[in-house]
Order: sequence, then C-alpha cells, then structure tokens
Amino acid sequence: MTRCLVVDDDAEIRRSLDEYLQKFGVSVGAAGDGREMRRLMAAQVFDVVVLDLMLPDENGLTLCQWIQQHHPSVPVIMLTAHGDPISRVLGLEMGADDYLAKPFEPRELVARIHAIRRRARRGESEAQTRREFRFEGWAFDRLLRQLVSPQQIVVPLSSAEYRMLSALVERPGRVLSREQLIELTRAPGVEVNDRSVDLTISRLRQKLGDSPKEPRLIRTMRGEGYLFDAQVQP
Amino acid sequence: MSGAQAPGGSDGPRGSGGSGGFAGLGRATRERIARAFGDTLARRIFLLLWVTLVAAQALAIGAVTWVRGDFNVARMPGAPTLPPLPGLMRGPQGQPPQQPGPSDLHEPALPGDLPPPAGEPRDFEHEPPPPTPKGPWRGPFRALSAWELTLDYGIRLLVTGLAAWIASRWLARPMRDLVRASQALGQSLHKQEPLPLLDERRGTLEVRESAQVFNAMARQLRRQFNERGLMVAAISHDLRTPLTRLRMRLETLDIEELQRQRSVEDIREMNALVDAVMELFRGDGPGAAEPLQDLDLGALAQALTDDLLEQAMPVRFEDPGEPVLAKGQPMALRRVLGNLVGNAVRYGGSAEVRVGRDAQGVWLRVTDSGPGIPQAQLEAVFEPFYRLEESRNRHTGGAGLGLYIARELTLRQRGSLVLSNRPEGGLMAEVRLQPV
Repeated sequence: MTRCLVVDDDAEIRRSLDEYLQKFGVSVGAAGDGREMRRLMAAQVFDVVVLDLMLPDENGLTLCQWIQQHHPSVPVIMLTAHGDPISRVLGLEMGADDYLAKPFEPRELVARIHAIRRRARRGESEAQTRREFRFEGWAFDRLLRQLVSPQQIVVPLSSAEYRMLSALVERPGRVLSREQLIELTRAPGVEVNDRSVDLTISRLRQKLGDSPKEPRLIRTMRGEGYLFDAQVQP
Repeated sequence: MSGAQAPGGSDGPRGSGGSGGFAGLGRATRERIARAFGDTLARRIFLLLWVTLVAAQALAIGAVTWVRGDFNVARMPGAPTLPPLPGLMRGPQGQPPQQPGPSDLHEPALPGDLPPPAGEPRDFEHEPPPPTPKGPWRGPFRALSAWELTLDYGIRLLVTGLAAWIASRWLARPMRDLVRASQALGQSLHKQEPLPLLDERRGTLEVRESAQVFNAMARQLRRQFNERGLMVAAISHDLRTPLTRLRMRLETLDIEELQRQRSVEDIREMNALVDAVMELFRGDGPGAAEPLQDLDLGALAQALTDDLLEQAMPVRFEDPGEPVLAKGQPMALRRVLGNLVGNAVRYGGSAEVRVGRDAQGVWLRVTDSGPGIPQAQLEAVFEPFYRLEESRNRHTGGAGLGLYIARELTLRQRGSLVLSNRPEGGLMAEVRLQPV
C-alpha cells in the first residue's frame, strides 16, 4: 500500500482524492496548509506527497524545498493552476519530481504516483528525473522535448521520439531489444510495436544527423536490438 | 459670471480695485484673461495673419519703390511715401469701383507719367472725389507699369504663400503629434511598452490642454487595461479549483458512462478556454519569456504531425528533403502550428503541412480541402472571440481565441500569419518567419 499525503487547501478536493485514491491501493493523509503538512510529516511516514502550489499560508515552492531538506527520500508531485512549460520548469527546478496541471485527469495522477513509486523502489530516480542530457555536442531537454544541435539549432521532437531517446540516454552503452524498447516507450493510448520502434529510431537518426547506413550514435545490433553508443555527460 | 465669482468673495475687493493684479482676480476671470491674452491658437493665427500681411505689404512696396526709385527718383516730388496700390485705393469702404477693372491694367498705357491734370488733388491723403476714385489723379506718382505690377503681385503672392505654408505646418504639428500618439497608444497598451505621452508644456493653450487630456486618458486606459487583465487572469485561475472538484466528483458519482464522458469533455473544453485567456492576459506567458532561437522548422512540423498521427488524426507532412531553418520560439511555434493543424482537421477534414524557403524568407503552410472562409472574413477570424456563423456550435467552434493567439505568438517572433483560399479549394494558412 502506497501512503500518499495530499496537501490542498480545498476540503472537497482532499476528500474526493482520498476516496478515489483508496480504490487504487493508495492510502491518503490530507493537510489543508503548510503547518498541517509539517505536523503530519513529522508524525507519519509517507511515500509520496501531492502538493498544491497555491496554499493559503505558504507557497508550494517553499514547502517543496522544505520537504527536500527534511525528507529527501520523499518524492513530490506538484499540482498547479499553470499548465505552461515555464511554470513546469520552475516547479521541477524547485525540487518537485513531477508536475500536474489542475484540473488533472484522476487516472493520470494515479499513474504518476505509481510511476514515482516504481522509480523510487528501483533507485533510478536520478537518471529518470534529470531534465537535460548532453552527448557529443548535443543537448537533450526532456522538459521542452527538444534537441539542441552542436550548431545551437533547436530540433523539436515528437512524443514517440522523446520517449525513445529518453530510454536510450538513460541506458548508454547497453543493447536494448525491441521488446525492451516497446516496454520502455509505452504510453497511455498509444500502440507501440516493432514497426513503430524502427520508424522512431530512423526518425531520431535523421534528426541527430546520424547516417542510416553507418549510424554512429544509435547503432543497430543485428538480431539483438539497438545500442546508444555515446558518452552521456553527467 | 457673477455666479462664478461669488465663491471667491474675499478676492472681490482687491479684484475690483484693479491693482490687485492677476492673482487677486477670481478664478473664472483669470481664466478668461488667460484665454484672451495667453498663447492661444486664436492669437497665433491672428499674429500670423497680421505679420504676414504687413510683411507682404512692406516687401512689395519696398521692392516696387526700389525699382522705381532707380529710374524715377528725379521726377518724384518730395519723399516717397506709400504709393497707392491697386486694390487698396478702391472707392470708400468696399464701394465697387465705378470704372471697371481694365482701366487699372491699362493705366500704364495712359499718360500716367505726365503731371496730373489741373484741378485734381495732389495730396493723396485727401479723399479722392467719389466719382473718379481710380482716375489718373495719382498725384505725383505715375501709375505702375505692367512689370511693376507683376513684381508687386508676385512678391505678395510669394510672401503670403510661403507664410501660409510654414504656418500651416507649424499650426498642424500638434495635430500630427496627437495623431501619431493615438496610433501608438493601442500598440503600447497591448505590449506593455511606455505610453506615448505628449509634451504638456509646449504649444498653445489649446494644444497644452489637449496634451493633458490625452495623457490623462492614456494613463487611465493603461490602468483599466491592466486591471482588466489581472481580473480575468484571477477569475481564470480561480476557476481551476471548481473545475478540479467537478472532475473529481465525476469519478466518484454514480452516473451513466456516456454522460460522464460528455461532462469530462466539457470540463476539458472549459479548461482550454481558461488556458487561452490566461495566456493572453499574463504578460509573462510562455510566448513572452521564450527566447528567439535558430530552429529546424521541418523537424518541428514533423514532430507535431507525428504526434497527431499517433492519435490517428488525418494529417500529413511533406518532407522538403533539406533542413529549413528559421528564427523562432520553439514552444510558441508548436502552439501556433498545433492550432492551425487543429483548425484544418476540424473544418477541412484533413491537414497537410509543408515548409520551405523563398526570397522573402521561410514559410510554413497548412492546407486543407474544406470549404474555406468567405473572402471578406479572412481577416475578421483573427479577432478574439470571433467565430464564423456556421461554427457557432460549441462542439465545432471552440472559443474563438485560437487564431488570435496564433497570430499574436507569430508576431512576437517577428513573423506573420495569413489565411487565404486556395484556387483549387480549401484554406491555406501561411506562417512566415525570419530565416537564420
């Protein structure tokens, strides 16, 4: 059972989230403001905090930093009224592990809670929440879903390309089979299969200027799968 | 007047004494005096006319006298005084000349150089006898020759013409300033730039007053514009909490699945509207904050169409086979393109995206094969909340902000966005951007 702390100043949202999340095996503690949150976190252990950015007494961002300092192992999902990417950047830079704009799809929240829990259990959190990866002069910004070439040209990526490149840069130098890649790039509402994996790889090669005949960055391992062959800078 | 002076009763005695001066008078009186003697438009026009006419007169007379003086000084009795000039010496006070005009012109042909006939008054200060106001009575002065007349008229025309031209420019300048400031006002309100305020200390009383009124109006507009923006943004922001509550309630309520889905769709639509309004009124929205970068326009179009294809939307991207680079804001451009493609699919059934380059820069075109838009409404659809008649229905029409925001975002990237009907049918939206 995942223990989740919901911090939101609206009583009905707290109550309905409590009721809803129960159905998905998440037990909920609820706090209406920052003081209550601190009190509850001191008394109990939570696996994840769902934190509203706008609270009556304290800014969500400061509370987020407080959690990072005092309970560094507890991941935070930030809820906010601003859905734009700049607010998202701000939230993630302040230490939130994930970010959801209000009004959110309840199922989406459940999916994010479970994903964060999985990551925490596997201890992959660092690579998985990193925003930017650099390799061979390229910069891959996962928040803006774009590549910046060594010539400083922005190359936007599709969702499929973004998921694929994320899977690859998190595991440089490892051969990944098509089955593994299908598993790693799965997304709700999208069908991923062998063919779409190949297509996405060829698109990525094109965008990375990798020749399809003799690819250097994303190499084809005959009969095995694909290998991301680049030094990813820490 | 007495009513206006009544409140300033204590000023009365000094004011009526006349020696109290300007400060001692009632306010209304002071204003009246300021109007009468201050730097008003009326005074400027009056002075201008006066100076111009006197100058024209003096110059013309001076020139003619000088010309004549060279040749005829010897024959002039006494000091030359103002010569009577044609037009000035017409009969007493507007009385039409009894002799028709031609006689004026023919004067040089008459024996004007001869001494006047006896009996005629020699001093031109004497009233000329009414029956012959234009006759050859011109005293010691001979009539003007054709050349002298031409010179006289020419100088007058030149001086008055020049003065009129300069004066009209000079008097019209405040008006031009006002027009320019008014034109700039809309833009600067919109873009939060400094207001185009007028100089309140220069110009005539009327101009200074207009400047004060204009500046006050501009400041008032800015205040209201900002307040309206803040209010709308605050309302939009506060709508998210009830929307979230509604959305959560739909999960826990026991209702029919179809009803639930429709309600979820409605919430999504309302939220999209809130998003759009927030973006418009928050000055720090993504469009404003994002830097202009060099970007691969083809990659952007490809990424977006791939995403939509993944959702089984009828879109197509035609790869130009070479990189097309442009200066732009990647996130804002995604939004613009997403909106154009969304419109094409919604109203035209499908969307085709192309990118390319020509002499004018870089272009991105989204075409559909739908009914297009009536020619007269091609510009109107960019107005906020404007919707074509047939799309009033909310389920196809959206909020009517999409194209407005798309154009705003394109303009911020120093680009342009225009719609046109294709000759082969369907609508084309063209985004133009600066090349790298």
